[in-house]
Amino acid sequence: MASKVAIVAVAQIKHDDCLGENIREISYEVSKDILNQVGMKREELGTIISSSSDFWEGISCSNSVYYEAIGANLKDSSKAAEDGASGFVYAVMRIMSGHFDNALVHAVTKSSEIPSLSALTNLYADPFFQRPVCLEDISTAAMQAMLYMNKYKITEEQAAKVVVKNLGNALNNPYAHKRGKIGVEEVLKSDVMAYPIKALDVATYSDGICAMLLASEERAKKMTDNPVWVKGMSWGVDHQFLGDRDLLNGKLKGVAKKAYDMAGITRPVEEIDAAEICEPYSFQELLWYEQLGFCGDGEGGKLIDSGTTAMGGRLPVNPSGGVLAHNPYVARGLIRIAEAALQVMGKAEKRQVPDVKTALAHSTHGFAGQHHSVIILGK
Amino acid sequence: MGRAVAVIGFGQTKHGRREDVNYQELVYEAVKAALEDAGISPGDIEAIIYGSMPSAMEGINAAHLYLSDAMAAFGKPLMRVATCGSTGMSVAHSAFYHVASGSFDIVMAVGSEKMFENDPQGTMETVADPWFQRAFISGAPGVFTMQGNQYSHRYNLPEDRVREAAARISVNHHDNALDNPYAHIRVKITIEDVLKSRIIAYPTRLMDVCPSSDGAAALIFASEEKAKNFPKKPAWVKGLCYCGDEHFFGDSDKVVWESAIIPAERAYKMAGIQNPRKELDVAEIYNPFTYQELIFYECFGFCDRGEACKLVEEGVVLRGGELPCDPSGGVLCTNPIGATGLIRVGEAALQVTGRAGDRQIPGAKMALSHAMGGVDQFNGIMILGSEL
Repeated sequence: MASKVAIVAVAQIKHDDCLGENIREISYEVSKDILNQVGMKREELGTIISSSSDFWEGISCSNSVYYEAIGANLKDSSKAAEDGASGFVYAVMRIMSGHFDNALVHAVTKSSEIPSLSALTNLYADPFFQRPVCLEDISTAAMQAMLYMNKYKITEEQAAKVVVKNLGNALNNPYAHKRGKIGVEEVLKSDVMAYPIKALDVATYSDGICAMLLASEERAKKMTDNPVWVKGMSWGVDHQFLGDRDLLNGKLKGVAKKAYDMAGITRPVEEIDAAEICEPYSFQELLWYEQLGFCGDGEGGKLIDSGTTAMGGRLPVNPSGGVLAHNPYVARGLIRIAEAALQVMGKAEKRQVPDVKTALAHSTHGFAGQHHSVIILGK
Repeated sequence: MGRAVAVIGFGQTKHGRREDVNYQELVYEAVKAALEDAGISPGDIEAIIYGSMPSAMEGINAAHLYLSDAMAAFGKPLMRVATCGSTGMSVAHSAFYHVASGSFDIVMAVGSEKMFENDPQGTMETVADPWFQRAFISGAPGVFTMQGNQYSHRYNLPEDRVREAAARISVNHHDNALDNPYAHIRVKITIEDVLKSRIIAYPTRLMDVCPSSDGAAALIFASEEKAKNFPKKPAWVKGLCYCGDEHFFGDSDKVVWESAIIPAERAYKMAGIQNPRKELDVAEIYNPFTYQELIFYECFGFCDRGEACKLVEEGVVLRGGELPCDPSGGVLCTNPIGATGLIRVGEAALQVTGRAGDRQIPGAKMALSHAMGGVDQFNGIMILGSEL
C-alpha cells in the first residue's frame, strides 16, 4: 500500500428476511451509528462511496434514492456498483490519493423487495446463448460443484459440514439472519435445488446493510486508539462465458496472491488469524480455501474435516456465519470486511477469535465466482 | 495533492444506430481506438473501470461482467461505477483515483450504451422512486422541462427570449457536430427549424432534445511518470469534484442548483481558476436539453444569475466566442448515455492537446468537462489542462 488507510468504525443492523424499514431509513440508521461511534458531524465527512445495484434494488440509479439518507448531500461521492468490496477499495483509493482524509462506505440490499435470486442472476447471462437455457446463480454453481466433486472426490458431506459450521457460528452473531445448530444429515436431506446443491447449501436471501468509516493514517490516529489497517487489497475478473472458464481454477488465486504480496504474507494459514469469506454455496467455501492458499488443490474437503477452519481451529473461517447466515447480495462483501475488521479490533464479542492480528476478507459476485476481491486487514 | 494524473489516450465509436455490431463489438471498437491512440496494448492496462446506465437499459444485470472480455479485462481488476446520466464522469473520476492513489500507473475507463436495443424512457422511468414521484415526473423530458420553466420564471425572463436563446444553442451545436466525424446527428438546421419543431414537453421542442444513440468511449489515464514517457502530449487532470443533492425533485433548487455549483467551485479551486469565463478556453457541458444548458452556464460561473440568455445573444458561448461550449456538438447531437460523460472528458482532453481536428478551438489550454445524472440529482466536473 502506497499510504496507510484505516478502518475506524463499522456498523450493521440485524439482518432479516424482511425488514420493516425502507432503504432510506436503514441507510440513515447505519450512517448515523458510524457518526455517533466516532463523535463526528456529517459536515466533517470527506467523501462517500456507496455500493448497491439497480436490479438488486428495483430502482434504477440505485444510489439516488438513499443518497442524502447516508449523509451524502453535496459531498464528493460516487457509487461502485454490484459489490460492497468494490465500494470499499474505491474509498481506500480516494483516501490514498491524499484528496480526502476520511471516507464513509455504505452498501445495501433489500432482498425482500426484489425478484428471486434465480430471476435476477439469469439476467447476468448473455441474452442469446446462456440466458435462454436458464443459466443462473444456482445452476452455474451446481456445474462448478459437479466438476469439483468429480475431479477431487469432494463429498456432499464435506460441503454440508460448511453449513453446519457456519450456521453454528452464526449463533454467536447477533446480526445474522439465519442461524442454528443443525447436523450434516439435515443438510443432505434438504430439497435438491440443482444437484449436488441442496436447499441448505444455498445462502439465504436477506435484507441487510453495512457502513464503515475509513481514515488516513493521521486522521485515524486522532479518532481511535484501535485502528485496523488495510494491508493489502486486490480484485479481478474472469471471462463471461462459462465455457471459456476453468471453473476450478479461476481468478481468485491470482487475486489472493497479489493481496498477500502487498501484505507480506507468504504462509496464509500461519499468518492469517481469521477469515471472512463469501460462500453463497457451501462447497464454494471449500474451493475458495484452495484458491486462497489455505490448502493445496483438491484439499478443501480435508481442510474442513481437519477442523482447521472451525472456531478454535488454526484459521477460523466465517466466525460470523458468513454469507450462508446473512446474504444481502451487494452488501455481503462489505459485511465480510466489517466482520474481519471487528476481529482485528477485538470487538467481535461472542464470535471473537482470540488474539487476531491479521484477518482476511473476501467477496465475490457473478456466476461461479466470476469476480473476486480479497482484502487483508491488520493491527 | 496526491499524484498528478493525465489522460493519455481517447477512443470513441462512430455513434448512431449501430446495427452493424453487437454490444461487445461496439465496446471493443472504442477500447481498441483508445489503445491505439495511446500506442499501448491491452497488456499495459493495469485496471479497468466500466460504467453504463441503470441495468434495465442494458437488459443485463452487472454489464461489466458481460462486457469484461470486450474490454480485455480478463484477470484484471474491474470495477463497475454507475451513476445514471453522470456515469461517464463517475467512471473518469474513479479512474483518476485508481492512479492518484498510487495503486496503478495505467488504467482504462470505459462507458457504453446501445440504446436502440432498449427502452431509454422506460428505463429512466424507474429512476424516480416508485411511490411518490414515478407516476408524474418519470422520464427525462418532463423533468428537464420543469427545470427550464422554473428558470424562466425565477428571473421573469420573456418566454420568447429564452426560446430563442435555446434555439441558438441548438443550431450552434448542430453546426459543431458537422465538424465531428463521430457525432450521431449531423444535419444543418436553422433557428426557424428549432422554433417550429414539434413540442415534446412545453416549451421544449424536438430540436431542443438529445437523441438516443448507440456508442462507446474509452479513456486511458496514467501517472505523471508514465505519461511523460508517451510521445503524444498528455492532458492533465487539474481539478475534479462530483456531488449530488436530495432525491425528491421538489426538495432542492434546480435553478440556483447547488449540486452543479459546488462541484464547479471545488474543481476551480483545485485547478487554481478564479475567473472561469476568462481562464477556461472551452467547455464540454452535459446538455441533453438546451434549456438546461442555460442553467449550467450560470451554475458554472460563466455569467451572473439570470444572464445566460445574454451569454448566448452575445455569442460568448458559441463557436468563435470567448468561451465556446460543446464544440463536439455535445450531448444534443450524440447521447449513448453511459459513454456520454466520458466523451465530454475525452473531447476536453483532445481540445487541450490540440488534437480535436476540425472541431479544435484554437490555442485551447484549459477545458471544463461535465456530466449530470439522476432525476436532476447529480453533477460531476473534471477540468483538464495542457500543462502539469
